[in-house]
Amino acid sequence: MQPGSLRRLNARLVTVGVLLVVCWIAIGYRLVVVQALEADVYADQGRNQRLQRETLAADRGKIFDRDGRELAVTIDSVTVYANPREIEDPTTVARLLAPLLRMNMLDVLDALTTDGTFAYVARQIESAEADRVREARLPGIYFLTEPKRVYPMGDLAGQVIGFVRADDNVGLEGLEFQYEETLAGTPGELLVERDPYGRTIPQGEYEVVPAEPGSDLVLTIKTEIQFAAAEALERAIERTGAAGGSIVVVDPATGEILAMVNAPTFDPNDRSGADPVLFRNRAVTDAFEPGSTMKLVTISAALEAGIATPDTLYEIPRQLERGDTTFTDATNHPSELTVTGIVAHSSNLGTIMLGEELGARELHRVLYAFGLGQSTGLDFPGETAGLLRTPDDWCETTCIASTSIGYRVSVTTLQMAMVFATVANDGVWVQPHLVREIVDGRGARVPVDPLQRRVVDVGTARSMRAMLEEVVSGGTGAFAAVDGYRVGGKTGTTEKYLYDEQAYSEDDVVASFIGMAPIDDPRVVVAVVLDSPQRDASGGKGAAPVFSEVALAALHQLGVPPDGE
Amino acid sequence: MTAPAAPYRAPGVSAGAGYRVAIAPRRRAGWRAWVLLGVTTVAAFFLMIWSRIALDHTAFVLQEVERETSAEWSRHKDLELEVARLQAPERIVEAATEMGMVYPDTVRTVEVAGLGGGGSETEERWVDLKAVLGAQP
Repeated sequence: MQPGSLRRLNARLVTVGVLLVVCWIAIGYRLVVVQALEADVYADQGRNQRLQRETLAADRGKIFDRDGRELAVTIDSVTVYANPREIEDPTTVARLLAPLLRMNMLDVLDALTTDGTFAYVARQIESAEADRVREARLPGIYFLTEPKRVYPMGDLAGQVIGFVRADDNVGLEGLEFQYEETLAGTPGELLVERDPYGRTIPQGEYEVVPAEPGSDLVLTIKTEIQFAAAEALERAIERTGAAGGSIVVVDPATGEILAMVNAPTFDPNDRSGADPVLFRNRAVTDAFEPGSTMKLVTISAALEAGIATPDTLYEIPRQLERGDTTFTDATNHPSELTVTGIVAHSSNLGTIMLGEELGARELHRVLYAFGLGQSTGLDFPGETAGLLRTPDDWCETTCIASTSIGYRVSVTTLQMAMVFATVANDGVWVQPHLVREIVDGRGARVPVDPLQRRVVDVGTARSMRAMLEEVVSGGTGAFAAVDGYRVGGKTGTTEKYLYDEQAYSEDDVVASFIGMAPIDDPRVVVAVVLDSPQRDASGGKGAAPVFSEVALAALHQLGVPPDGE
Repeated sequence: MTAPAAPYRAPGVSAGAGYRVAIAPRRRAGWRAWVLLGVTTVAAFFLMIWSRIALDHTAFVLQEVERETSAEWSRHKDLELEVARLQAPERIVEAATEMGMVYPDTVRTVEVAGLGGGGSETEERWVDLKAVLGAQP
């Protein structure tokens, strides 16, 4: 080898050697950085990739009826989702998937062709349906387990129970909304190490703070009575052609709502396409002028004030002129009536005479004491207080007369049911409630203790009950009679006030009947209100027969023995 | 400088008795000890690996059991829902109607001594009566 070539070779060797040494130094430096200087940083990064902090959803509490039947439960449902980036042929996958999910193929295709790595295909489907999709082993299709709220009784008490939002099971309406905090529970937390496939690494870090399940609600509702009321209301609407209606059944001694029904209604399991108006529990949220059922309050006030007794005789004129209004009676009756007769024949004029003797302040005091013009405090969202003007706002001409017979004041079906329940309960008003007790996750029961207050004397209440019996046995409420039981109640028919037009309707009325049974020791009070019946458009013909049906069913369900013919 | 050490003499033994301390020559570790050490080390490794695998296996079994429990719990919830749906009055009335059942025209009331009557206990008594009737063959 030439000396020059040797030198060049040596130079190359030295260069390569130097480069290798530099490389080794760089690698060594990097090694020191990774393994020593920044070891903690990389260890943390790796740990964070493996460690996952997951929220453990708390089981939402169930809702039971008073006999322990489930009205709202949470089940595990399956949600099908896709990773569109993993699907090479979306059209084929959509064609195969759509029939399995009983969906429109184009809807499925829309989901499969979205941007990103996640798209819902079908949410909260039944396990059996999901199993069919699993068996198909379609690429890019995955499954999630999600809690789903289900209402086994369907539309039976939809407006009372309400519903939750599908995404997160947060209560949106009804008792689901009112008792959101109680039902929701407290979510837990899971800290776990997972491999890239999402599997738990055995003996990896594992910390769990268990979720605390929500409390269960035991309602005062009795499913059988609720069903009987719903069926009776549906038949009544069919018979009368009414636009809608409400029924409230209450235990007067405890204030427990045994049934609360509105029609038309909706199924909380499937709200798609349902008019949001149907979600309202109209027995609580909608007010109307009660008409003659209000006479119970006026007469009670008169008895309580000592102005009259049930046997006091009044000469009833043909009409009364007050301001520019002429008041008359809608029923034929003798020219002289006792107070009992005034109630039985639903005499407007007799009631107005008693109301005017009482005066505005005293009448207002008793109306308010019976719970009108204020919320009942029912454990339900959106309850309206109705309308009861203060005596200072009462006019000199027609106000006492109108209010005495149930105009110029607006009430809810529930408020009126509670007025009658007060009389049924010997003059003591008990706060109505829908929840009987709350059962927490450990099984501890917290019963509800309702407020109570005396409104009228026992004697007044018993006298009123005797008068109410006369209404059914020989007055305007004959169709309310119940086989085997002595019952009492009061009819009401009012022209419907149209709020949009600020005027009374010429065609539509609100027909109502509110009564109690058995009359000596009432176990149930039933309030029936029909909105705009087209046939049998009066409380006596339209609503009273509904009371009869519902009261009989309720008495049978409660095991109340007959006390009459 | 240090003085040379005096020869060891046991107590009570006169000088020149002929005793001396003899130290045994160090024995060289034999190949058996090395083999034993190796086997023990390997065994310890295997034991560690085995215990690790056993723990992992148990963890997987536990995960599987948890999955099964969860699935059974889910099934339990489904069955509860099914029971609730079957108890719906609407379904029962429909089934009863299909079977030709009708409401009676007249209702007959049976009074049982000690049961029924008015008052707040009626419902509880009715529950008792239902239990009595339900227990009949």
